[in-house]
Amino acid sequence: MSHATTRSRSAVAAHPIISAAIAILVIADIFFSLYTPIYARLTPKLGDFPFFYWYLLIFMPVTSLALWLAALLQKRLGPPSGESEGEDVR
Amino acid sequence: MSNVNITTFTIVVVLFVIVTGVGFGAARWRRGGSMMHLDEWGLGGRGFGTFITWFLLGGDLYTAYTFIAVPALVFGSGSIGFYAVAYTIMVFPIVFIFLPRLWSVSRVHGYVTPADFIRGRYGSRGLALASAFTGILALMPYIALQLVGIQAVLTVMGVGASSGNTFIKDLPLFVAFLVLAIFTYVSGLRAPALIAFVKDTLIYLFVIVAVFYIPTRLGGWDHIFGIAQAHFTAISPATKKPLGTFVPTSGSVGSTQLDFASLALGSAVALFLYPHAITGTLAAKRRTAVKRNMIYLPLYSVLLALIALFGYMAVADPVTAANVKKTGNAQLAVPYLFQHMFPSWFTGIAFAGIIIGALVPAAIMSIAAANLFTKNVFVEFFKQDASPALQTRMSQWVSLVVKLGALLFAVELPHTFSINLQLLGGIWILQLAPMLIGGLFTRWFHRWALLTGWLAGMIYGTIAAYNVATPTTSHWAGSSDIVFGHSIYIGISAVIINLVIAVVLTLILKATRVPEGADETLPHQYTADPDAVPAAAPAGVTAGLEG
Repeated sequence: MSHATTRSRSAVAAHPIISAAIAILVIADIFFSLYTPIYARLTPKLGDFPFFYWYLLIFMPVTSLALWLAALLQKRLGPPSGESEGEDVR
Repeated sequence: MSNVNITTFTIVVVLFVIVTGVGFGAARWRRGGSMMHLDEWGLGGRGFGTFITWFLLGGDLYTAYTFIAVPALVFGSGSIGFYAVAYTIMVFPIVFIFLPRLWSVSRVHGYVTPADFIRGRYGSRGLALASAFTGILALMPYIALQLVGIQAVLTVMGVGASSGNTFIKDLPLFVAFLVLAIFTYVSGLRAPALIAFVKDTLIYLFVIVAVFYIPTRLGGWDHIFGIAQAHFTAISPATKKPLGTFVPTSGSVGSTQLDFASLALGSAVALFLYPHAITGTLAAKRRTAVKRNMIYLPLYSVLLALIALFGYMAVADPVTAANVKKTGNAQLAVPYLFQHMFPSWFTGIAFAGIIIGALVPAAIMSIAAANLFTKNVFVEFFKQDASPALQTRMSQWVSLVVKLGALLFAVELPHTFSINLQLLGGIWILQLAPMLIGGLFTRWFHRWALLTGWLAGMIYGTIAAYNVATPTTSHWAGSSDIVFGHSIYIGISAVIINLVIAVVLTLILKATRVPEGADETLPHQYTADPDAVPAAAPAGVTAGLEG
């Protein structure tokens, strides 16, 4: 990964687009679960589930995906203290 | 005791005995040095890898809160109970923002508790004491919720339930309390860590079976939602108001969208301010592991949304609804539902899962509270040279005291909705947000301003919660209050007061040049991962990339 060698003082200044993308991913996640008027309604239904309920159910995996992307993008910003990509699950 | 189902009872007892055996045996599991050392008793020898940490953290989401309290609120009030689902969604992006920073700075400086960080960041023992006190206090009602959950299951099993005698009635609660107290005392954090595996296996088994099987018995999801909608939107002849809501309303008072959002936001910010959640996080070996957990845990909480729907299933099942109505205790909704829907042997497995699922977090929470007291109060203020053995002894006894406090909350506070116990803890723990989360990003706040704001938030929150009344309960009846004509979670209104005071006083104190105290942390330490440096320059030279 070529970006790993970046020694910039500020990763945000060096990668404004990636930084903005991370911020949008995280903030959108919070906003769309917090701003209730968007989903406090019954229709459109998905199968037997009213909108309010399937929206919340589907939001869970979406959050997972968004945070996975955000973490991936953060790696491109330059890993803190030479962070490696190795798995450390034990 | 006449209506005890022998099969269910036997299975619960057998599983419980097995788990208790594991709990006591855990004292010898992966044992390092002497058990009479706080690192051993209170942190499991600090030897937990990512995998075990994940089980411990996941355990914080799957407690009696999930199985008893949330479905009870859904059963009683409808859609407002689903704030818990929104909460478990937004908790991960919120935590993604600040938790890796806390992990890094704590790893560099060897902080174990949130109070350690506060002390290092602001150079203020008073502020650290305030945060330790808040952590211990807030955990008590949360532990109490676990005890109430166990009590609900035992009641439905018919153990000591229908007796008119108060002592016999609460006997199951005392027995559960005693078992919890003894095995925590003996085995420390190893007990819940090991039991967590058994617990999660049982829980996944019965939840997955339940969400697929029960709807087929009740005529499908369409039928369940249909009955729930009719039930909660019907006007009650007694109060001339609907019983609940099927989606949060756009009005200003009641189960409104604002109330829903504030409950979700407050709970989400609160979760990782709790000492037990922070301790669990700090046990992770790597910074990436913390982030990875934030990515995997939301998948975990899909189950939580399905469990919340058990509340509607209980509404849709006439037998369960009638049983709950007879007792007037919504906490019994899920236990009654399982008892009616499942064969008695499977009910036994489910009940054992709920009981053990409440014991594990209760043990973790009381250990975290005990560590907090020993480290940040006892050693800090009373006995700086306390030996490891004395510290461990101290923690063991404090864990008992904390559980006694929890028992008091469980017996004294109204049980209409046990979820209020957790929300009460949330009101208190949220008052740490400005100093803890704020402190992770800026040293702008003045320590005395933070202390004053904290005090104001604690006092306002406690009084406001005390004053919440319903027609049937005079005090502590809820967690939302009406502010400027709008229903809102007290935790949020209290932390806003807290924050405003902290900002105003900081401006004043800075203008008058009151000493700000030493800060032993450095900016780059908030993004560091010391262990990941492969024999490079000393940590501090190469770090400091991420904003």
